[in-house]
Amino acid sequence: MMNFRKNLDANIALAIAAIFLFLPLIAATEFSLRDGGTEKHSLISYRWILDQSGFSENLGITMRVMALAVILTLVLMVPTVTWLHLGGEKYKRLIDVLTMLPLIIPVVALATGAQLALPGFVHGTVYELSFLYVVVSMPYTYRALDIGMSARPLATLVAAARNLGASWINVMLRVIVPSILPSIFAALFMTITLSLGEFTLAQLLHWNTFPTWITNISQQNILGATALAVGSLFFAWVLLYIFTFLDRQPTQSAVNEE
Amino acid sequence: MTTTTVLQDVAKVGSPRKRGANLWSTFPWPLLPFFLFLALFFFLPIGAVFINSFKNNDGAFTFENIQALFHDPYRMAFLNSIKLGFYSALTASIPGVLLALAIEKKGGKNLKKFIASVSGVLANTGGVPLAFMFLAAFGPSGLATNLFKSLGLDLYSLGFTLFSFNGLLIVYSYFQIPIMIIVFTPALTALRREWRDASSNLGSTPLGYWRHVGLPILAPSFIASFLLLFASAFSAFGTARAMTVGNIALVPLQIGSLLDGNVTIDKANLGYSLALGMIVISLLAMIPYILLQKRASRWQVR
Repeated sequence: MMNFRKNLDANIALAIAAIFLFLPLIAATEFSLRDGGTEKHSLISYRWILDQSGFSENLGITMRVMALAVILTLVLMVPTVTWLHLGGEKYKRLIDVLTMLPLIIPVVALATGAQLALPGFVHGTVYELSFLYVVVSMPYTYRALDIGMSARPLATLVAAARNLGASWINVMLRVIVPSILPSIFAALFMTITLSLGEFTLAQLLHWNTFPTWITNISQQNILGATALAVGSLFFAWVLLYIFTFLDRQPTQSAVNEE
Repeated sequence: MTTTTVLQDVAKVGSPRKRGANLWSTFPWPLLPFFLFLALFFFLPIGAVFINSFKNNDGAFTFENIQALFHDPYRMAFLNSIKLGFYSALTASIPGVLLALAIEKKGGKNLKKFIASVSGVLANTGGVPLAFMFLAAFGPSGLATNLFKSLGLDLYSLGFTLFSFNGLLIVYSYFQIPIMIIVFTPALTALRREWRDASSNLGSTPLGYWRHVGLPILAPSFIASFLLLFASAFSAFGTARAMTVGNIALVPLQIGSLLDGNVTIDKANLGYSLALGMIVISLLAMIPYILLQKRASRWQVR
């Protein structure tokens, strides 16, 4: 009886949340399928998207910016967090606070500053966005990696590998990375979702990315823009679904280890 | 050897190794890339905002940009943005907590994974796509509006509109509630099963457990998450830009229009002082967060 009532209130809460979540989605999907001002439904708005010259171009820019942000996150954050867990423990408190800052300082303010001053080698190219996305997603990526590493006996694994004569590169790539793969995926997931939808930095630094392109084109065709909104949200979900599929394998082996 | 002689030696030899022998050997070198990255892509831009807030057009020092913040329309915009941040945190944190509790109770691994990925995407939605989704649902001829109308409830004749302060709150909750779920769930998982068992073994009711164990442990995390939601709504730009038609003055929008060059050139540096104002308010809001996080982390298994 207790158990039933417990689950009942949880179910009601989840049902209300699902309605709030899906109502705008369903409404937008229905709206995007309308055939002009008529009652009929068709894919006309989705066909319209593909006819736009900016579509593939801007999607391409966003994907490239995202790819660089993902690589930078991997190369910067994985070794950093690994070291914090293998000897750098006394700096953890400092890094905890530093990685919180990008969540606290408004992105609008960061954009204002990025317009003024950034290192010369990226300033003025669209890839400056990648570097800024690494910073903005850092609160999440750092925590994902930190939680993942806390749950593994990293020091023991590394000591074992070193004793068997593995080089540090080998230790990193063949011991540490595989054992924390799920949290690496979780971290990259954050970078990807941010890069796909980020508007503020791209707009204020005057770059054309997929999200700013949607915003500009929405003034021409409301139905088409709604179709784009729905399409990009589903695109993000499909991408992330593939992602969770990829990370299933390591999770399985992690469970077996325990 | 005294400090001065050391310094003289260093001046002669010029070897950095000797000058800072101690610093050199204790500096956490593996963290250097991380420090450099943050310095170049975070502290450099933020520092530039700070310096330029105190400059006039000719580059001379001035307090004019800062003083302007205390007068309308900028004062009004700050008040509106703070109000929006506070009410949005309030309207999103409570449903967020209830949902996080519900998910934790149901507890299936697949459900949690699904919620995590859905929340991750929704927390990053915003701007025009989000505005259009809500227009399709709650706009004057939206699906939900028509649904309510057929049930005899005409929202728009009751004075409801999406393009208002309250409308913004509803739209914001679409990304704020997922953020709350993301940041608050770790606190819930830290609530150990043993504590509940211990409290019931000692004769406590579920209500008593929450009053004496659950809530006191969760309170710091809740307030911390609340402040994060405040910061998020306070500084939201894309959605505000898409949802307001110049009817609500908000600081991020004013910064946006100053950066876009939509204003006379003599106000160019005002954008920097507005950004500085936002930074200061966000930092002030975070002081309790940092203090509380320390307390909360005592109970979190790390």
